[in-house]
Amino acid sequence: MAAAEQQPPAVDGGKVDITEELLRGQLYPEAAPEEFRALRAKMGGLLQSIASADMDLNQLEAFLTAQTKKQGGITSDQAAVIAKFWKNHRVKIHESLVNQSCWDNVLKNMNWRVDLKSQSRHVDQINTPVAIVEMELGKYGQESEFLCLEFDEAKVSQMLKKLTEIEESMTALTQTT
Amino acid sequence: HRPFYNSIQTCSSGLLKYALKIFSNLSSLQCEQIIQHLNHKIPGVNTVELCQRLQTSGIEVNVGDLAKITNTVSFLFSTAARNNLSTEELITALGSTVNTLPKHAIQVIRHVWNEQGKSVGVSEDKGNMSTVGQFVDIKWKLGVAMSSDTCRSLKYPYVTVALKVADSSGQITNKCFEMTVPQFKNFFRQFKEMAAVLETV
Repeated sequence: MAAAEQQPPAVDGGKVDITEELLRGQLYPEAAPEEFRALRAKMGGLLQSIASADMDLNQLEAFLTAQTKKQGGITSDQAAVIAKFWKNHRVKIHESLVNQSCWDNVLKNMNWRVDLKSQSRHVDQINTPVAIVEMELGKYGQESEFLCLEFDEAKVSQMLKKLTEIEESMTALTQTT
Repeated sequence: HRPFYNSIQTCSSGLLKYALKIFSNLSSLQCEQIIQHLNHKIPGVNTVELCQRLQTSGIEVNVGDLAKITNTVSFLFSTAARNNLSTEELITALGSTVNTLPKHAIQVIRHVWNEQGKSVGVSEDKGNMSTVGQFVDIKWKLGVAMSSDTCRSLKYPYVTVALKVADSSGQITNKCFEMTVPQFKNFFRQFKEMAAVLETV
């Protein structure tokens, strides 16, 4: 039987609340549950291997070709569908796996504005601009903490200097890998 | 109302005039945005987006100028709110500048202040700015996540930063978080934008 055009990503985040029965009813209503279970397990297993290795196109082709030649493997149609699925969803799935392995705080969101800070008791001679930055920090799937910080021009420069250092290190790193 | 008039004087009248002229060309939605910002309902006016919108409707203005304008107008309205000015008092306070503005500019200011003026929050401490801390320093470390139990080939670089922050009582704490490369690039870009706006204000 030809595999469905859209295989739901069983490896994606584990947050998908889809039961096998729902899938069978939607995709192969005429198939016996046993048959469908076997198919789903086989496809799921293959996708898991592909995602875990984050295969590029060469690796994918080699892998899928080997699977079509195996005893009890997949058909070339099924291979084609899996290949298409992986090409379309690779980045998203990898990103999801990356996020799953991050257990510390992340910067979920950041907003900022620039205020003209004025001394309200005196006649304003100096209106010093100051940046107010709001950062939403927290772990994935958990409540956030909102951090609100003030930056004057000097502090922003200080931050930029450090961020440039980070960028230089990142560039050096990605050039050597 | 003496302090308010004095405040208006120190805003360069040329800037104020220019600001009000441009402000009068903003759609009412954009005026609302500025008032909502004052009300701490939205964290900030998206100056870049606003600039693009103005440019597509044929108004020549650059981001730096627009930042100056939104700050001036915000300043104007928040000072007026602090002094509990009525619409007419606000118009009067603008003084002679008013005579040099196009008529519809005054109408816009009058309209906006009538509609929204009362809702402008006076205290700068209200809203989601319950405690504003001071940025002190940033420490960082760069790492690469190679593999995990769910994925054998992760291979992504990430930077862990520790922000040294002083709260209003002077106490120092470290706030730590991780960023992937795209998250870091966005973080960096925002601070560059901030620097650009601070420079032009």
